[in-house]
Amino acid sequence: MSDPTNRYNDHWWRHLVVWLAVCVAVLPPLYVVTAAFNADQTLSGSSLIPRALTLENFKGLFVQKEGGAEVFFVRWFRSSLIIAVLNAFFTVFIGALAAYAFSRFRFKGRRMGMLFLLLIQMFPGLLNLVAIYLIVLRTGEVVPALGLNKLTALLVVYLSGAMSVNLWLMKGFFDSIPAELDESARVDGATPAQIFWGVILPLAVPVLSVVGMFAFVGTLNEFITASVLLETVDNFTLPLGLQAYVGTSYEENWGSFAAGVLIAQIPAIIGFVFVQKYIISGLTQGSVKG
Amino acid sequence: MAEVRFEHVDKVFDNGVKAVSDMTLDIRDGEFLVLVGPSGCGKTTALRMVAGLEAISSGTVSIGEKIVNDLTSKDRDIAMVFQNYALYPHLSVADNIAFGLRLRKESKEKIAKQVEWAAKLLDLLPYLDRRPKELSGGQRQRVAMGRAIVREPKVFLMDEPLSNLDAKLRVQMRAEISNLQKQLGTTTIYVTHDQVEAMTMGDRVAVMSMGVLQQVAPPQELYDEPANLFVAGFIGTPPMNLFDARIEKDDDNIAVVLAGVKISLPADRNWRYPRLPDYVGRNIVLGVRAEDVHAAETKPHWPAITGRLGLLEALGSSQIGYLHIDATKVAISTSATSASTRPEDLPTESASSFVTNLVAYFPPRMAMKTGTDVRIALDTANLHFFDAQTGEALR
Repeated sequence: MSDPTNRYNDHWWRHLVVWLAVCVAVLPPLYVVTAAFNADQTLSGSSLIPRALTLENFKGLFVQKEGGAEVFFVRWFRSSLIIAVLNAFFTVFIGALAAYAFSRFRFKGRRMGMLFLLLIQMFPGLLNLVAIYLIVLRTGEVVPALGLNKLTALLVVYLSGAMSVNLWLMKGFFDSIPAELDESARVDGATPAQIFWGVILPLAVPVLSVVGMFAFVGTLNEFITASVLLETVDNFTLPLGLQAYVGTSYEENWGSFAAGVLIAQIPAIIGFVFVQKYIISGLTQGSVKG
Repeated sequence: MAEVRFEHVDKVFDNGVKAVSDMTLDIRDGEFLVLVGPSGCGKTTALRMVAGLEAISSGTVSIGEKIVNDLTSKDRDIAMVFQNYALYPHLSVADNIAFGLRLRKESKEKIAKQVEWAAKLLDLLPYLDRRPKELSGGQRQRVAMGRAIVREPKVFLMDEPLSNLDAKLRVQMRAEISNLQKQLGTTTIYVTHDQVEAMTMGDRVAVMSMGVLQQVAPPQELYDEPANLFVAGFIGTPPMNLFDARIEKDDDNIAVVLAGVKISLPADRNWRYPRLPDYVGRNIVLGVRAEDVHAAETKPHWPAITGRLGLLEALGSSQIGYLHIDATKVAISTSATSASTRPEDLPTESASSFVTNLVAYFPPRMAMKTGTDVRIALDTANLHFFDAQTGEALR
């Protein structure tokens, strides 16, 4: 039976696929949400619809229970935020400087440099972990601030991580900004620095916000590198700290874990709201054009 | 305000391409000089060397009395208008115009005054708060002009500033830029590949080809007395008809033989080409413009040759006839000339399949039939003669 006015009849299977995809995507977060409000503390006993609702899990993140362990949630959150903001800022700043040079200047080793950066990106980051651990261990003997269990060391490691892919992304975008703008500014009397700050950067805001946003969210969620470099619970970043809620034997605290995860997502969500208009345009302009 | 001087300037790019060779050119104070030539002839490179956007390989460029080879763009006191305008998309019209002044740390009052002066001059006052993308092509072009004039530099450099406009607007802006330049009296170097722009705008026109300056002259002189075959073929629409011909003795006079017809050249009529007598008995290249070809019936006393009419285009004020005469056409490679008709573009008569090789203007309403023979007469006072080997005019 085909009724041209009722397309649902013909395309019911498409709706099925859509709803399946939505369920698959939504179920895990939904589980976390209910777990956060569930009065039960066990995962196995909890169901999607909790038997009793409570805010205890959230409260437990901020207020130390009588006789309970010290609460580090705020500290972890702050550490993560500081590292994420700094990483996003420096990634954008250093990356933009390098991308501008690669895009506009012709110098010996330019091509090799670009290729080398691309090559580095092809190795999975996990391969570097042993090397990073050893490097940080040794550096710490000379410069304590860059040693193990130091957030500054973690920041430096993060900065090196995604630099090359960000650099390529930004270079692609800079290439799409006509060189005549630089030349025109030069004739108008601008120095290279003035051209960079006054002409190129304002035009590159889309790609800069995309790169910054990815760096920010990526840092906020990063677990593995942090788990290798950070040792004491007071220095943990948020993902490490949350893992501690469920990672200790005999004392799994899924409710607190889920509540913490929910709060941890807030900065990322706010960030995405601010830059979402650039994400599409930034990505396509940077990579397709030019 | 200042003169600009090229002295034996060469430009060789890193990849070995020689873009400009041994260019020597004086541009007078307040002059509007047009650099014209087909694409790739080095005209833009020459301009960019004045702007300081391109290093000078050898020779010197000076602005005023000062050699500027080693000065940066901002120390040369010049302003440049780019083909794509290069407006800063994130700044308003006012900020675009004020950009250079701000960099020079001028006072707020002076900037405001200058911007208003420029905007008024260019009819941009209502648009000062708009962004470039909210403007039409012509308005953007004027903003680019505004950015150039507001600093009152010594020299304006314009790199094909009208190429991105549609034909009608181009004609209008052509006049506006000319007027503006006369009003301000600022030395201007204007690069274009469009010879109509060159002829209409320039006080003098410099024709370039393959990196070499061919001729520098006022427009009319360039048209009347081309220095060589390239200029003859490049300047003028339609381009000059050029044929292999022969110079012979004709009693006391000399004569040129074209299509088997001996055309006598009275001594008082070939004053433009004093070297002509040296070429008696030799092959040369004869040039004649379309307007100097007449229907023989209108000039009964002139020697006439026969041509077959391939196509007749009525323009209203005149008719353009494409003919075939029994002579070998000399083709000049002036690729990328704008509106001019290139030899290979001349229409062919498919029915009889002969190739036309001569273009002539005929009076309007003159009855002629394509495919038939037409008697034509050449104005011997306006013939042009070139050396067959070197291409130089026989002057």
